[in-house]
Amino acid sequence: MEVIIIPFIACLCVSILGKRNNIWLSTLFSSLPLFFVYQYFQHLDSSGKWISLFDHAWISDKIRFTLAFDGLTGLMLILTNMLVPLIILAGIRNDENQVKLTALTLFMQAALNGVFMAHDGLMFYIFWELALIPIYFITLTMSGKQAFKITLRFFLYTFVGSLAMLASLIYLFLHTADHSFDFESLRAVELNLNQSIGVGAGILLAFLVKIPILPFHSWQADTYTEAPASGSMLLGGIMLKMGLYGILRWYFPLAPESIAFFQPWIIGLSVAGVLYGAIIALRQKDMKRLVAFSSLSHVALIAAGFFTLSAEGIEGGLLQMFVHGVNVVGLFLVIEIIERSTGTRVLGELGGLAKNNRICMVFFMLVALGTMAVPFTNGFPGEFLLLKSLYAYNHNLALLAGLTIIFSAVYILRMVQFSMFGEGKKAMSPLSWNEILAFVILAVGIVGIGFMPQIIIDMVHKSVLIIATWISEANGILS
Amino acid sequence: MIAFFITFFGAVVLLFIGLNKRESSFSIFAAGILFLSAFLCVASKFGWCNFGILESWVPANMMQFSPEQLLFMGLLSFLTGFIILSFRDSDIIGNDQLALMMFSLCGAYMMVCYQHIVVLFLGIEVLSIPLYVLAGSKKDNIYSNEAALKYFLMGAFSTGIFLLGSAFIYGGTGSLELELMGIKPSFMHAIEGMPIPVLINAGIILMGVGLLFKVAAVPFHFWAPDVYQGSPNRTTVFMATVVKISAFIALYRLLNTFVGIKSNWSGWLSILATITILWGNLAAMIQQNVKRTLAYSSIAHAGYLLIFILIADGTNAWILWFYGLAYGIASILVFSISHQLYNTNKDDTFEAFNGLAKSSPIVAIALVIGVLSLAGIPISAGFVGKFYLFSFAWQSDPMLVCTGLVGSALGVAYYFKFIKHAFLKVGEKSPVIKDRGILIFLVLIILMAGVFPWILLRTFF
Repeated sequence: MEVIIIPFIACLCVSILGKRNNIWLSTLFSSLPLFFVYQYFQHLDSSGKWISLFDHAWISDKIRFTLAFDGLTGLMLILTNMLVPLIILAGIRNDENQVKLTALTLFMQAALNGVFMAHDGLMFYIFWELALIPIYFITLTMSGKQAFKITLRFFLYTFVGSLAMLASLIYLFLHTADHSFDFESLRAVELNLNQSIGVGAGILLAFLVKIPILPFHSWQADTYTEAPASGSMLLGGIMLKMGLYGILRWYFPLAPESIAFFQPWIIGLSVAGVLYGAIIALRQKDMKRLVAFSSLSHVALIAAGFFTLSAEGIEGGLLQMFVHGVNVVGLFLVIEIIERSTGTRVLGELGGLAKNNRICMVFFMLVALGTMAVPFTNGFPGEFLLLKSLYAYNHNLALLAGLTIIFSAVYILRMVQFSMFGEGKKAMSPLSWNEILAFVILAVGIVGIGFMPQIIIDMVHKSVLIIATWISEANGILS
Repeated sequence: MIAFFITFFGAVVLLFIGLNKRESSFSIFAAGILFLSAFLCVASKFGWCNFGILESWVPANMMQFSPEQLLFMGLLSFLTGFIILSFRDSDIIGNDQLALMMFSLCGAYMMVCYQHIVVLFLGIEVLSIPLYVLAGSKKDNIYSNEAALKYFLMGAFSTGIFLLGSAFIYGGTGSLELELMGIKPSFMHAIEGMPIPVLINAGIILMGVGLLFKVAAVPFHFWAPDVYQGSPNRTTVFMATVVKISAFIALYRLLNTFVGIKSNWSGWLSILATITILWGNLAAMIQQNVKRTLAYSSIAHAGYLLIFILIADGTNAWILWFYGLAYGIASILVFSISHQLYNTNKDDTFEAFNGLAKSSPIVAIALVIGVLSLAGIPISAGFVGKFYLFSFAWQSDPMLVCTGLVGSALGVAYYFKFIKHAFLKVGEKSPVIKDRGILIFLVLIILMAGVFPWILLRTFF
């Protein structure tokens, strides 16, 4: 409960304080939930079950406000509550929108924590929608000519997806024995294959739009590019993970009978997305757009890994989720800092920035290596596990998806080279303390996970096993 | 019954003492009367006070004050109180408009607690006749005159159709009492398996059509955009909320009598609900005028409420109550802000909202919350209302729920126009917004009903 209330109160305080608000103070407040996440971990027992921490009647007696916690939720909470303080610390420009963006980001943090802790279907839906409102206003801040059109398209895409999920959840709710939205009651509903496919399609649509998987991706690049840096970081770093988390937490347990039906489609589309995103990223000139497409490519690989249904694929995917969050926030942060001091983020207009800002160059290189999945950086173990599980599912698909390693090296190094090295056209101002602090924390994340990925895998292992058992009980595909 | 007396005599007193005085000084008095009557309704529902003597004056086969009806009366009077409070024009002389609105509310009460079709008919007339005057109360405005004439003609026709329907029903069932007239057709349908006489079917359809005119369901909606646009803002919001909700309560109680032969009327009603939702939302998307947009949005909401009429089984009237509360409060909020902007800019297109976020951020946030509630996005009361509605309707009519969901998605496109103009466009004038306190209070109601609906419903139902 604390992890939802604290950011919300902080959001109210920031809105009331207005210009008098101090950026360090809001950073401190937004990182407070990490302490409570640590406390929640003490509640876990050895079974790895999703244990409820808070429970109260809400919309009706059976639709309750229930917060639950396990390793999987813990991982997502650490990701959210680690990245949001960094975004507030370094990602928000010191201009007239600063207060608004800080308040909205804190609001977003509360909603995201709610999404990851919700144990009740309706509550999950409500927080899911609630997270959409602040990000809508954050993207609306950048008032380019097209801002309204782009944000409305983003909103409509995700809203339609969510409505489909709501319809599926209501269908399940009406079939529960005790007319309850509780996760366990929803899971206990017995569906035949057709029902399961229908329900699964509705739930999946919401998640596929959010991730996004290939045919639903057209909102992504524009929104990432037009949004202010903090918006892009929130979207790429955390919000995409809502979709992946949703697949694992809600889709697999609730409609396991339909997985076999959707599996080839999703894996096929994901691998297509991996290649599509990577190839388009090769040609981009705008750095933010490049990162947007690279993220499309990386995240599609995670989805493919989940749908191989092997423990390696799912655990590798979860590891990669965390890592991708750190890396994307790092990349967007560097791009934002470059844009702040030079006024552009187009590759052709930049170059030679390393000359007067070595710290930035070092960090940029480090994040780039992490994104390219070089061994001993954080990207490597996850990507390795994902490709391995995909190889076990289908050799040819794994070969195709493996091309992404080469492509990502090409487009990421191209981005670093054209911006940092070569002829100097623009100069960069030195970094401020809050930027350096954010860089250091992210760098520790990149190198630390590169050496010790096992920490994260251990954290989620039991939850993954439980979910895997449910899937195999339903249709016995799991090896 | 006490609510009747208080509202009626309050209106009469208002007319006498407030003649030739400025209206704004009396609006608090009027709102006070209405809140008092709302409170007394709730109090007699809980049995805190007993007005049995007053109620025994009315024969039980004419009007009935069950707990459910008392809550509905309380809701209507509460909404009217807020309408009066949030539209305080300082330049109107005379309290005739306030008094007329309260007389009209008495008609709405009758439509809520009728037990006899004649009382329902009287209620419709008592509700409508003051509204004809109110719609045309801007005498020098040609649109207002048009609105009054249109509303009058349409209202007269619809009452005529309603009367014809009730005559048919009398012919078919031999009674006009609500409890008796449903017995014969359900008996015939359930036990003897006989076909229902044409007279009864035609009667139900005609009476339904008469009420559907009042709620502006497609295809009986053509008057709505013009009348909403032409009428003074306060009258418009009264029509969009109190009149609509009371007509729905009347329709719900009427059709619930014939629930035994539901298969005979649910078919055409569900078709009407589908086209009302779709047409209301689609037509709202292309409007430029704020009041016309809100008129079409209220048509779309009428469509959602028609879904409720189709699933009503006599025990779930609280859905209508909650939806009415959510929809009413959000409409009053949005209308009130657009009214105050109109007073500054004299512009009733969306351009009036330009730059609102810069000039008065609090009002802009209130606007956002009102609009999100109308669009049905979580933690607003509108979402919870829609959720209750759709989850109850899913079992009996999944197609209709899907239409409703499509409608909600379409709704986002035009509700977000408000946000677009308030947050993205740059405004020339900075509007003067009075009565922020009331706006904030309305926002709090929306959020409280959205976040703690269970507490609200458990207290009342």
